[in-house]
Amino acid sequence: MIKDISKQIQDRFGQKGYNIPDSEIETRLDKLINEFKVPAEEAHRSVVNFFLKEYNIPRDEFFPAQGDTPTVQVSDIDTDNKWVNILVRVVQLWDNSHESIDQIGLVGDETGTIKFTKWASANLPELVEGKSYLFKSVVTDSYEERFSVNLNRTSHIEESKEDIAEVELVPTVEISDIDTDNKWVNIRVKVAQLWDSEHESIDQVGLVGDQTGTIKFTKWAKSELPTLVEGKSYLLKNVVTDSYDGRFSIKMNRTSLIEEVSEDIEIGTTEVEFIGAMVDIQAGSGLIKRCPECNRALIKGVCGEHGKVEGIYDLRIKAVIDDGRSVQDSLLNREISEQLTGITLDEAIHMATEALDQSVVIEKIKGEFVGKYYSVSGPKLDRYILVDTITPLGPIDNSEIEAIISQTEV
Amino acid sequence: MASQYTREVSYRIFAQEFRDSNLSFKDSNDQYSPQYLLTPTGAKINRMFIVATLTEKEDIGTDAEYWRARVVDPTGVFLIYAGQFQPEAARVIAEVESPQYLAIVGKPSTYQTEDGTILTSVRPENIHVVDAATRDRWVVETAQCTIERINNIDSNHPDAVRAKEHYHPDVSIYRKMAQDALKDLNSA
Repeated sequence: MIKDISKQIQDRFGQKGYNIPDSEIETRLDKLINEFKVPAEEAHRSVVNFFLKEYNIPRDEFFPAQGDTPTVQVSDIDTDNKWVNILVRVVQLWDNSHESIDQIGLVGDETGTIKFTKWASANLPELVEGKSYLFKSVVTDSYEERFSVNLNRTSHIEESKEDIAEVELVPTVEISDIDTDNKWVNIRVKVAQLWDSEHESIDQVGLVGDQTGTIKFTKWAKSELPTLVEGKSYLLKNVVTDSYDGRFSIKMNRTSLIEEVSEDIEIGTTEVEFIGAMVDIQAGSGLIKRCPECNRALIKGVCGEHGKVEGIYDLRIKAVIDDGRSVQDSLLNREISEQLTGITLDEAIHMATEALDQSVVIEKIKGEFVGKYYSVSGPKLDRYILVDTITPLGPIDNSEIEAIISQTEV
Repeated sequence: MASQYTREVSYRIFAQEFRDSNLSFKDSNDQYSPQYLLTPTGAKINRMFIVATLTEKEDIGTDAEYWRARVVDPTGVFLIYAGQFQPEAARVIAEVESPQYLAIVGKPSTYQTEDGTILTSVRPENIHVVDAATRDRWVVETAQCTIERINNIDSNHPDAVRAKEHYHPDVSIYRKMAQDALKDLNSA
């Protein structure tokens, strides 16, 4: 038995280029097993460790060579705490967020991409974006059901001659393609709306759209990304899809990137019509002020992003239209508000100046328009119709009533 | 993140059906949970929209103004109460002369008398003066909404089930009410 174990050990050291005499191994094994009654397995381990120390062989160099680690594809990674080898290309290197981390980013093969973390303590060679590598003995990890791989002291990196050309980079998708959560994607979009952030952890929230539709986005304050401006178009890179109540959204985090694009992306939408009574006009309507930096509506002269600023006047109406069955929030921009009310922005400013009160405008609009019936139509963005036509409804004619009466007879 | 707040729909109920309603409840014990009124045709309402004619108004307040207004639709009378907590609505009532068409968005409210009768009234959120065309549209719309509810009364929708259990309504009465309101409009 001692001979067998001894041979195994010698072979393994031999593979790494260390020649250890049989006798030395056997002597140690004999002592442990026969004299001290140590179980064979434990003796094996103990002897290996002894010679590693004796010959000053780094452990990391010795153990990975054992070769049981499976080589997998990125999409196969579905459990954490597994040792794997992957052949990947470095898709992106991200800004390092912690001194204990040497490099962090995304790698991918033809089956997908995955986040990697290379610990500073691993002492591994520098990875270069766009190059392909064989990662040996990396550990899978997961956080909130997203998988990643960690490169630690036991891991190896070999530059691969084989260029993983077919690597699927973070795919650039259209909004209508987003149908799963927890996927890294790039999207080319225009900012359709910015909403007021309800939480300090959220820097910006709103809607972005491309020709296939619109989607909610959340930009975390921690992401420290540049401010998105309503109406401008951007390439949003490395955003993560998410879903809530069956509705998809995207989140922009620390690893996301924003690039402004010169092209004006057109937002494709579904045009809808809604008929009902205007039952309310919401706060933030009438004469308002917007932040000159980001166009956000100011609340008491304060921008959620830029603090106290000299605002720019604008006119808008957030009308609630209700048909007795459902509620439709409707947003009238300056042009449509002016058309409906006959009050121009300049006149509204004049009214407010005369009254020394900005709210006279909303009060006047409420008094004249709430409680009446309208048909509104325009593209529907999330819960709003962005009204491009609003028509007050006149009297119902008798033929229409006749038709309804006949429908009610059973 | 918290789900987006959804605004309560403004239901369309004729005065007759509103007067017949007496089942008021909350969905949970939370003090902020909205109060609902279930009507005989199965509308579970926390808000309503009425367009009807103001016929009488009276300040019944002792110290502060407290207005009671009677507004009439083709089927009956709604009682509207507005005081210091509904300043805008109270101001409109104070200023208008009857008769006048009013559009009212408000919350249903119930009051139990000593003999156990439940009276319904409306606490307005906003009141606006409107024209006859708006009133006519409301009558047509309210008739349609009422008929839709009647047509669904035998469904397994929880509101319909509960309304049937509580009121055992003879829905033909409400169907006729809606039809009469429409015919009345057409002959005018």
